[in-house]
Amino acid sequence: MKINRNRTPQGVLKQFSDLIRQRKDIRWLLFWLAGLLGLWLWDSIFLNPLAYELIRSAIVHTFVGASAAVAFSLFIGWSAGIALYFLENGRARSIHLLLMFFLNLIRSIPQIVGLLIGYIILTLLIAFGFLQSPLSQILWMAFVISIFCSLEVLDLVTERIMHFRKSDYFHAMLCCGIKESRIINIEILWKNSLSHLLHKLVSLFGVAILLQCSIDFIISVGLSTDVSLSNFPVTLGSLLAKLDSKQDILALGSMLVEPSYASRILFQHLQGVSVAFVIVFTLLCVFQIADGLVRQYDL
Amino acid sequence: MNMPTFNITIAKHGRNLVHVDDFRIDENKITFLFGESGIGKSLLAKAIYGLLSPDEFTITINGEPYNRYREKEETREIQQSSFFMFQEPSSHLNPLLTIGSQLNEGSLTGRLQDSGILQRLWEMTDAVDMKKMLGIYPKPYRPSGGEKQRFLLAMAFLKIEMMQESIPEHIKTFFVFDEPSGSLDNHFRDVFLSVLFEKFQKRKFTVLLITHDYSIISAVKTAGLNILNDISYKELSLKHNDLTLNNFKSEHYMSWVKIQQESKKTSVPAGARPPLLHVESGLEVFGRRLVISRDRKGGSSCPLEIHPYSMVYLKAASGVGKTTFAKTVMGLIRANHLKIDLNLHGTDITLTEDTPRRFWQSSVWGKQMAITFQHADEALNQNSTVRGTLSGLPAKKSRAENIDRMMNGLFEDSIDEIFLKKKVKYLSGGQKQRLNLFRSLVLDTDIIILDEPLNGLDFESIKRVLSMLKEKQKSGKGILLISHNEEIFDAIVPQENVYYLQASHII
Repeated sequence: MKINRNRTPQGVLKQFSDLIRQRKDIRWLLFWLAGLLGLWLWDSIFLNPLAYELIRSAIVHTFVGASAAVAFSLFIGWSAGIALYFLENGRARSIHLLLMFFLNLIRSIPQIVGLLIGYIILTLLIAFGFLQSPLSQILWMAFVISIFCSLEVLDLVTERIMHFRKSDYFHAMLCCGIKESRIINIEILWKNSLSHLLHKLVSLFGVAILLQCSIDFIISVGLSTDVSLSNFPVTLGSLLAKLDSKQDILALGSMLVEPSYASRILFQHLQGVSVAFVIVFTLLCVFQIADGLVRQYDL
Repeated sequence: MNMPTFNITIAKHGRNLVHVDDFRIDENKITFLFGESGIGKSLLAKAIYGLLSPDEFTITINGEPYNRYREKEETREIQQSSFFMFQEPSSHLNPLLTIGSQLNEGSLTGRLQDSGILQRLWEMTDAVDMKKMLGIYPKPYRPSGGEKQRFLLAMAFLKIEMMQESIPEHIKTFFVFDEPSGSLDNHFRDVFLSVLFEKFQKRKFTVLLITHDYSIISAVKTAGLNILNDISYKELSLKHNDLTLNNFKSEHYMSWVKIQQESKKTSVPAGARPPLLHVESGLEVFGRRLVISRDRKGGSSCPLEIHPYSMVYLKAASGVGKTTFAKTVMGLIRANHLKIDLNLHGTDITLTEDTPRRFWQSSVWGKQMAITFQHADEALNQNSTVRGTLSGLPAKKSRAENIDRMMNGLFEDSIDEIFLKKKVKYLSGGQKQRLNLFRSLVLDTDIIILDEPLNGLDFESIKRVLSMLKEKQKSGKGILLISHNEEIFDAIVPQENVYYLQASHII
């Protein structure tokens, strides 16, 4: 007896609903996308065009920056993990020690301090005529974030290699003359660690958004009178720091003393509420997606 | 009441795991069920016994949902009157109770004192030693696998005694022994068989004995002379994703072994060519000295030599360190006093514990020597595909042409694009083992080390693997065989190529 797959529209619908019911990660991913779509529709109807354009840009810049930070983290973490493994097992022990020292140095710097340094360098680069386009500025900050986030990828990559290095299949492949770099990159990391890496990258997406919003908010509020972010691409963090956004957030507090004010929140204070909603809602969904991946792949 | 014929389907997560029609176990007979590992023998036996969880599997038996089957009076009768001995002894014993308490639990309470079953299975008369053994809490490495297995056998035999004394003959019985000799050496396997046959002669009952050790047939012929008519051999095989249960002719196996022995007598000796590999005896690893000798008692040590055109067989009792020895010779485990002389394309080189790993990697592994590890499940990347498992092997133009021919020789009709794209974890145990062997055999190395190469294979696959090994031997390769399956390898390896491994603790 074979299990038949129902290809009728009703069957496909049922399979889809089963998938959503069984897979928490997909359920929350769809919920997140639906939430953003709902917000976009609402804002396009009720928000003034100027603020709408600001929010649209802030969301795009933030998500592009976070995605780039995740991609850079993967590349840096994976490369550093491989380099550490081969340097440790090869003859270049001094280079291994030097790399370890450098990585531990990064580990010792608080992330937010590291990002502040990254902004200082960015300002200097702009002053010297480099990184003039908004995209290059976003990618620079994504790179700075990834320097700190990539340590988590590095730890995961190292842990996976160490785990499988003891296994018979690692030795069996070595004894068949298969190159060690292929065993590490393809057999261990690609074929056996993809779900672990996916989970880590989803979590890092949330971390990158939080870090970017935090640092942009801090800088925009103003730690120094010498640095101005007025020419930097707008992000959710910098938009949240704007005076009118802050007033919108404060307006939420008014509901405590005057509950009837709630009806005006979603119309008159849409800019700040939208920004806060995107940040909080995204972080919540990213957490739930990551949790869903843990359950799905028994991580 | 007769055992019915079963049509069984077992699925998990919408994927068909096992489907068999006309699965029938003979009533009041001892049925030996062969078949390659992972094909579904244990799963079917557990399904019939009502042991599988309906929450985990979707099962139908004779068209009925599994819940209804489990609630049937006949199923309950089997569970109450009989015993299911699991394959893995550790999973069956409770680590929080002493062995003695477990042998006195539930319906077995009080039976152990009057029964001499433990003494029979241990061949032991000293009550003090047995008392000490019964006070042990089972842990992964204590007692040994063979001892754990014998405790489970003792439980099963106590249950058989109970059934014979108190359960009316019309009540259905169904005793399942899943790989009962998997952790036993040949001697204790024979002891188990003789106890089983004695009990059976006292009053007949239905037994399903699952195994892939075909050499048990010879032991049965010796121990079960009086009940040969009550013994049947069946083999489960996979054809086009469906299982079929066929009668297996024991004469088929016996005559094949005889032919192998005859052909060994007529085979041409390896000659006086210089050895491909020469390993000095006495290497020290994990606190033990491994000594190689020519006689079973380990009288005088000698080096192990593998010549071109030869098969060498290394024997040792379970737990001595056969696999450790193989891994050491391959340079995977560091050992003291390691001295290996290797003939590398006409040049003799010596490998010791100080030989750097990069030398093994650049000149030995996959180039001069290859090894097949014992457990295919652990030696293969489960998340790789069949094709992926073979990619990355050292390139050689001639090999590509041989791959298809050799694969067809080893896998018969199962080679197609679907098979090549299949993930290793979805292959049967026998297919995994063949793939595991194939990966080493396809290489053009002069020396091939095979650790338990026949593990989990059915009879047809055993024949195919051995014929491929003989082909390799004829082409000038040297093969080192490490196995507990003495009957088959004694039949194909000349006595002068048999070595014994002994271990002694370093003080």
